[in-house]
Amino acid sequence: MKNPALIFLGAFLINNIVLMRFLGLCPFFGVSTAVETATGMGMAVIFVMTLASWITWIVFNVILLPLNLVFLRTAVFILTIASLVQLVEMFLKKYYRTLYNAMGIYLPLITTNCAILGITFLNIDNKFNFLNATVFAIGTGIGFMVVMITFAAIRERLDLAPINPSLKGYPISFIAAGLMALAFLGFSGLFGLM
Amino acid sequence: MKRRNLFTRGLVKENAVLVLMIGLCPALAVSGTVRDAFGMGLAATFVLLFSNVMISIMRKKIPNEVRIPVFILIISTFVTIIDYVMQAFQPDLYRALGIFVPLIVVNCMILGRAEAFAYKNSVIDSILDGLGVGLGFTLALTVMGAIREILGNGTFLGMAILGEGFKESPVIFMILPPGAFLVIGVLKALINKYVKKETQ
Amino acid sequence: MTSTKNMVLTLLIVAIVCSVVLSFVYSYTEPRIAETQAQLTLRGIKQVINAQEFVEIIPDTLWKAVDSSGILTGIVFRVFPQGYGGPIPITVGLDLNGKITGVRIASAAEGLKETPGLGVKITEPEFKDQFIDKCAPEAQLKSDGGEIDAITAATISSRAVCNGIKKGIETYLNYLETPIDKRCVFSDAREFVEIIKDTLWYALKDADTIGIVFVGFTQGYLDCIEFMVGVGTDAKISGVEILYSSETEGIGEAIREKEFLNKFKEGSAEAITGATVSSQALIDAIEEYITRYKEYLK
Repeated sequence: MKNPALIFLGAFLINNIVLMRFLGLCPFFGVSTAVETATGMGMAVIFVMTLASWITWIVFNVILLPLNLVFLRTAVFILTIASLVQLVEMFLKKYYRTLYNAMGIYLPLITTNCAILGITFLNIDNKFNFLNATVFAIGTGIGFMVVMITFAAIRERLDLAPINPSLKGYPISFIAAGLMALAFLGFSGLFGLM
Repeated sequence: MKRRNLFTRGLVKENAVLVLMIGLCPALAVSGTVRDAFGMGLAATFVLLFSNVMISIMRKKIPNEVRIPVFILIISTFVTIIDYVMQAFQPDLYRALGIFVPLIVVNCMILGRAEAFAYKNSVIDSILDGLGVGLGFTLALTVMGAIREILGNGTFLGMAILGEGFKESPVIFMILPPGAFLVIGVLKALINKYVKKETQ
Repeated sequence: MTSTKNMVLTLLIVAIVCSVVLSFVYSYTEPRIAETQAQLTLRGIKQVINAQEFVEIIPDTLWKAVDSSGILTGIVFRVFPQGYGGPIPITVGLDLNGKITGVRIASAAEGLKETPGLGVKITEPEFKDQFIDKCAPEAQLKSDGGEIDAITAATISSRAVCNGIKKGIETYLNYLETPIDKRCVFSDAREFVEIIKDTLWYALKDADTIGIVFVGFTQGYLDCIEFMVGVGTDAKISGVEILYSSETEGIGEAIREKEFLNKFKEGSAEAITGATVSSQALIDAIEEYITRYKEYLK
């Protein structure tokens, strides 16, 4: 699958990062209590995921691979992402106040978000070129944001619903996520034969 | 706190996946079969145990300001070790776990134990703590793996234990992604119903 | 300031120690990983064809299977057709006649992404063993005119496997070519002496020249036809084999049939109805070649 459009749709719908790949579950359950916070988190993830994909792609293909240092991949990637998030936070705070207000508080949470690191690994494992890695990251990020907002909307209604006390909180959220995943399963094979 | 409690606390009472709800990504992603779940649990336990030990040994030498990067470096070193060892000696398991082996590095459970426990406690205590939390993680994953494999594939460790007939047409849903959410949701509800009552 | 220095120093030392440890682990496991990979691949290709040794021709994609004396017995290739959930890794063995000797499809644990319970059934013997002894046109679903039963409710996966196998055979079939034994066209001869490289040989028996064997080409209906002919000193044809042709399936391919080729021995070869162009081209070409090589028959 080399076509960027297919990579985008695959990352967005078919292999949705949260519901199909099970990456980024902590923010998915932790920050999806209201639609507004879900949107901020979603934006922060799209932004950092794209930046992180660029930087780690360059670091891997320009430094680690030629120097035969691939065994440092895990350590280098996580440290790169952690520093990147710090830098972005400082930069936004200073120059783009409105953007910072919208998603700034979610940035520190992203450092240990397995979705970001996972995507950078998948870029390498799939041997994507720079363009495809970018498209893949953006598609994945949008997929994350869409399910995040949908799920937050569901949870806002769940709070008002009469639910058995044992099911309240996490259990019913998991079951709701399971039903969403079931719906997303319907997308699989959509472009499989193209 | 008694030493024995250090071990059992992480294993049961503060089980990372089923009680504290951390380390969910691998718990849901690789619990499709007992073998994968158990392998993942042991890999994470290895990293947790050794990073706990290293950090506990070095705890007086690490300046407070740079502790997090140092933790990350140590953890990622052990993750890379298990990554390569598994690739060399358990290639089938490695292929099944895929990206979730290197992703142990961002499992909040491990960094969390380094920060909250190993950085402040003795080596022996850190070993007990690491073993408890790690095996608790393994236990939770294996239970989920067993439920999903038995119902979703009709097998346990590859053996058809519910009869060949069930193996022919099992509840496929259970080994698909939605099944993972359902199993952990129901498990958590059962824990809320029966276990919480006891402690109250 | 000492505290900053201390911080940087600690980080630096930890980073260096970690890198050194990892480089040791890497240098120790790297050869093991390569070896395990090679073993896994070998294990996979051994399941689809019976052979002593495998010679890799295209890395990770194509192998020649040879027996203990180094004679080609078939090929093994890997294809990755797009299935329902992702690419399906398939390993296929072919014998010298282009017939499938075995098919192996990676299990879910090895990266197959088909739907559990439905699509993954393509890995089961009931499905994949249907391909054994089939050739490319037969390796299609029954609904597509072949001889393979699709898996109920998993037609996309089943069809993807068939198409992948068919395409793979078409792509790699030419690696099965030549070493057709020259004895096939000249059964009396015991030895062959090359006169023109890869083209013309003397057929010897008890140190006497009893004829020639040559390889020739001609333009068929669609593509070039390559053939091998044995001719005795009495100018009688001792045998004809088609080495390469890709004529129209079912019609032009009739020139490969023994019934037609055997007629050359009796000197009564005539064009096949429905495949006139291909067969007539072959008949004319053989006559022309024999005239050309006449002097070697003396």
